[in-house]
Amino acid sequence: MAITRRELISNIAKAGVPTAVAITVGAETLHAETENIPVPSAAVGLLYDASICIGCKACVAACAEANGTLPDTRGDGLHQSPSDLNDVTRNIIKLYKPEDGSPSSFVKRQCMQCLDPACAAGCPFQALHKEPESGIVSWTAEECIGCRYCTITCPYHIPRFQWQGYNPRVTKCELCSHRLEQGLKPGCTSVCPTGAVIFGPRTVLLSEAKQRIKNNPGRYYQERVYGETDNGGTQCLYLSRVPFDKLGLPDLGPESVPARTLRWQRRFYQYFALPALLYVGLVQVIRKSLKGYEQEAHEREKETGLRAQL
Amino acid sequence: MSKHPTIAEHLEASGVSRRSFLQLCSMLMVTAPVGLALTSKSSVLQVAEAIGKTKRPSVIWLHFQDCTGCTETLLRTSAPDVAHLILDVISLDYHETLMAASGTQAEAALRSAIADNAGKYVLVVEGAIPTRDDGVYMELGGRPGVQVVREVAAQSAAVIAIGSCASWGGVPSADPNPTGAVGVDSVISGKPIINLPGCPPNPYNLVAVVLEYVTMGKLPELDEIRRPKFAYERVIHENCPRRAHFDAGRFAAAFGDEGHRKGWCLYKLGCKGPITHAACSTRHFNEIPNVWPIGIGAPCAGCTEKGVVWRMGTFETVPIHLATPPDTYPPIYSAAGGIKVGAAALVGAVAGAVGGATWVASQRFQSSNEAGVARVNIDRAHAEKLKASSEKPTDKPIDKKED
Amino acid sequence: MSTATTSSAPVTIANNNNETRWERAVPVYGFPVVNRFFLLLVAMTLLALLLTAYRELAGLGPVSGMNDAFGWGIWKTFNVMVLTALGSGAFAVGIAAWVFRRKRLHTLMRMALLTSFLAYACGLLLLGIDAGRPWNFYWIVFPWKWNMHSPLAEVAICMSIYAMIPLAVENIPPVLERLWYFDSRLRPGVERLERGLHKFFPWIIAAAYLLPGMHQSSLGALMLLAGERVHPLWQTPFLPLLYLGAACFMSFGCVAGTTMLCCLIWKRAMDMEVLDEAARITAWLIFGWLALRLLDILFRGALGTAFHFDRFAGVFWLETLLTAGGGWMLYRSLRDHETRLMFLGYVLSSLGGMIYRFSPTTLAFRPNPESLYFPSTIEILVSLGFICMGIAGFLFVVKRFGILPAPLQEWRDMASYFRFRRPYIRWTGYFKYGHFGENESETTDSN
Repeated sequence: MAITRRELISNIAKAGVPTAVAITVGAETLHAETENIPVPSAAVGLLYDASICIGCKACVAACAEANGTLPDTRGDGLHQSPSDLNDVTRNIIKLYKPEDGSPSSFVKRQCMQCLDPACAAGCPFQALHKEPESGIVSWTAEECIGCRYCTITCPYHIPRFQWQGYNPRVTKCELCSHRLEQGLKPGCTSVCPTGAVIFGPRTVLLSEAKQRIKNNPGRYYQERVYGETDNGGTQCLYLSRVPFDKLGLPDLGPESVPARTLRWQRRFYQYFALPALLYVGLVQVIRKSLKGYEQEAHEREKETGLRAQL
Repeated sequence: MSKHPTIAEHLEASGVSRRSFLQLCSMLMVTAPVGLALTSKSSVLQVAEAIGKTKRPSVIWLHFQDCTGCTETLLRTSAPDVAHLILDVISLDYHETLMAASGTQAEAALRSAIADNAGKYVLVVEGAIPTRDDGVYMELGGRPGVQVVREVAAQSAAVIAIGSCASWGGVPSADPNPTGAVGVDSVISGKPIINLPGCPPNPYNLVAVVLEYVTMGKLPELDEIRRPKFAYERVIHENCPRRAHFDAGRFAAAFGDEGHRKGWCLYKLGCKGPITHAACSTRHFNEIPNVWPIGIGAPCAGCTEKGVVWRMGTFETVPIHLATPPDTYPPIYSAAGGIKVGAAALVGAVAGAVGGATWVASQRFQSSNEAGVARVNIDRAHAEKLKASSEKPTDKPIDKKED
Repeated sequence: MSTATTSSAPVTIANNNNETRWERAVPVYGFPVVNRFFLLLVAMTLLALLLTAYRELAGLGPVSGMNDAFGWGIWKTFNVMVLTALGSGAFAVGIAAWVFRRKRLHTLMRMALLTSFLAYACGLLLLGIDAGRPWNFYWIVFPWKWNMHSPLAEVAICMSIYAMIPLAVENIPPVLERLWYFDSRLRPGVERLERGLHKFFPWIIAAAYLLPGMHQSSLGALMLLAGERVHPLWQTPFLPLLYLGAACFMSFGCVAGTTMLCCLIWKRAMDMEVLDEAARITAWLIFGWLALRLLDILFRGALGTAFHFDRFAGVFWLETLLTAGGGWMLYRSLRDHETRLMFLGYVLSSLGGMIYRFSPTTLAFRPNPESLYFPSTIEILVSLGFICMGIAGFLFVVKRFGILPAPLQEWRDMASYFRFRRPYIRWTGYFKYGHFGENESETTDSN
């Protein structure tokens, strides 16, 4: 005997009305959340102008020194020449050189310090979290379980996991926060000979970037700063002569990745309301089923003389 | 004035300007920015003070199988005028080319120089020393050079072998070496010897070594063949101005071709820079920038190295022992991961095994239709048998053993 | 209705003429636990444990093919995502039995619960092995540390709670039953426990349906955050729902298919009524899921990519054809009463579902154009070893506890059976509907 239509509808109604309320309330909260991603009060970041960068890689060496990591010589065993970001390389210079001879460009890749970071959205126990004031996305070893979800969710593929050893870490640029505390600038910006990468408050950098675009019409791709609204806004901004996606900066739209992809997930679990309601509904249904089942089991026990099996 | 005035006193008495002296001191600091205690000071004034306090060292300069090129290189300095300064800073008590005397007067001068400064003078040796046939192939005042050098060195404080010839034999020692020419350290022992190879060597290296010895009282740090590390630790290739061309793969293929004219690397023309220890790539000659062999488009001959010059072919390319840093940039997307054969085979084997087992199992499910007819009869028979038997399904234990 | 060919008399082999009816869960008698196959499984398990120890010391890099581009290898994507889907029997069969009141499926419940428990045990162990810093898992106990925005947090927390509480509790009844039969001194305690269990049963079961619903769908939500890097044929906002649907039909296939396989191996009777019901439900689930999947692809405009000549289209068609073919086979087997077809239908549809759940993380995941991933040998061996552990556990439990369904007449007092050793073990000599062509004379005689 299957569940009757009446029962089904009645159960749905019992659960449905409060559910609808929960969804509405949740949706409102979420709507506000995704529309206005808050910019931290003292948000700092980098402005990197790829058209000025000469590819000297001084920033790569300075980053290793500032963070106290040994240079990555795993390429040829002798020279510091990492081929990509990795567990000891937080910052790297890559070269985009098209085959057809159109303009090439260097690009400095490091953590973008997104305003709504996907890595922090996915981290189970908030090992990756955004500092409330400076907005730097930092990693703490005490909460990390090494699940590597951040390496998958980051749209820029920045956090890197340490694959060797029994105490692995997750490495990414944290804007040299230890140096910022001492009033110094991040390692990379301290050594850049051409000023291609500079450090400062996000607001200042944004206006500087826009000023450069205004003063040099036709120089910069699409006359815009990458990171102003991309991916919901990032604290590390980019200017470039060549298309951004050729430099590994994908076009993600103005919504941040977590807001765009986890909308329904967030709504469903808002305040745990929906799951709780479902639970209560299920308990009611099962109670009824159990009553009928136990009656039948009792009868069979009498009939066969064998103990009932649940 | 005392018989042995300090350098400062002597310079003042000679009327040498302080400016010239400071120029010399700063030139010394440029010559040896690291590796010398004398020049490891924070300002040229300190160097000047250190030198000024020292007594003028006595220097005896002997020539053997030489071309006098080493003396000439010393004289070919004008900014500052090292030659004059040298002669004022050090007391050159015997130098066959520069002194006015000759003949028995010269020999007397040598004897008195040795006697006056016994145990304190620095002996500078220029030229190789022939040793074959008791050294008859080069005689000074009728006496074999070997004997002379041993006598003079016996009372010296230190011996400086200037030039490749004095360091290891140089040109005279080239095959077949008919005179048995050897360097100073092969005929003398028991005295501190410094080799300053080069053909010719850099004059400032000599000055730096002499002054380091007399002001600081010790020799600069030497390598295994007694060359001062501050000048001979690195190979030409390490600091060569044309290194970028080498790293980028731009080579001159023939003299006068486009690459040669553009100043590209001379490696393919037989440059011995990668295996030659010297400081020529940073300190050029004749005080004109870029006047040095590679700078003017002539591949380095390796004149400081015993095993290189006059042994290897002029245009013979040398093996590179020092790795070049990679001249590449990582691409926007790097490769990672790969398929290993063993793992792929394992996956295939497992998949095959599971698939095969499933297929076999599925085949053994007989179709209900095929099996059913015969089975139904057997089933019925069995069911009746069970009904007839006393064995009813029960929860009570079958035999009454304890639990 | 009959298509019998060997008899003149028409014999209907319809379900309602079936003599065999599953009414009780009976242990598998007459087959020793330790045989060559079991020893092989144990050996694989030990090997996997050794390799796990090596992994803990050396780190993840040396033992696996994971790299910076592919942070997840087969441990998370296969053993957790795929195997726990196969092990959602407790959820899917349970909901069909308890919420939608398909009474006949109750006989399959114990099988479903056991397979679920073993699959989740295997999956959770590998989740722990795969985590790079597993000692920090203790944060699970502090709810204020949970990042509820994270699908992975939801998966880890929900799965752990589910496996440790509702699923484990649901698997207790067979254990209690065995205790009751084996030692009469324990009976009062056992009965008290059983009464307590009955009292809280609705709450436990409701949790056992809510929690898997949550985490099986969150497993799908995991790859939502990867955005464009998952191929458009798979990446969709409906990913959680599709994952949940796949878990449903896959687990039906696993439970029913495993039961059929067990009946084949140990020569037990099959109750076609139950299996037909399960097949019907599975077929409906499959077609509904396929419809949702294809409509979703159509409306997102991604159907064009299915016709490119690349590996993504290949994987898509493989999984779609397998699933659809399996569903079709199930449907046909219902009409034609072909057990062979039914078994294959279960297997193929489960396989299709497995590939579907596996794809978005590995086969259809393109983090950058240059990188690829293939598991290393050690990775495969560890994964296999823990699966073997699950199978070995299953074999042991099924022979010692009442799990597999059987007709009522096969029931004997458990204790008396276990007290007999070989050669005293009574060979019950089942005659089956769907016997497997083996020595029928033997079975006739041994009775």
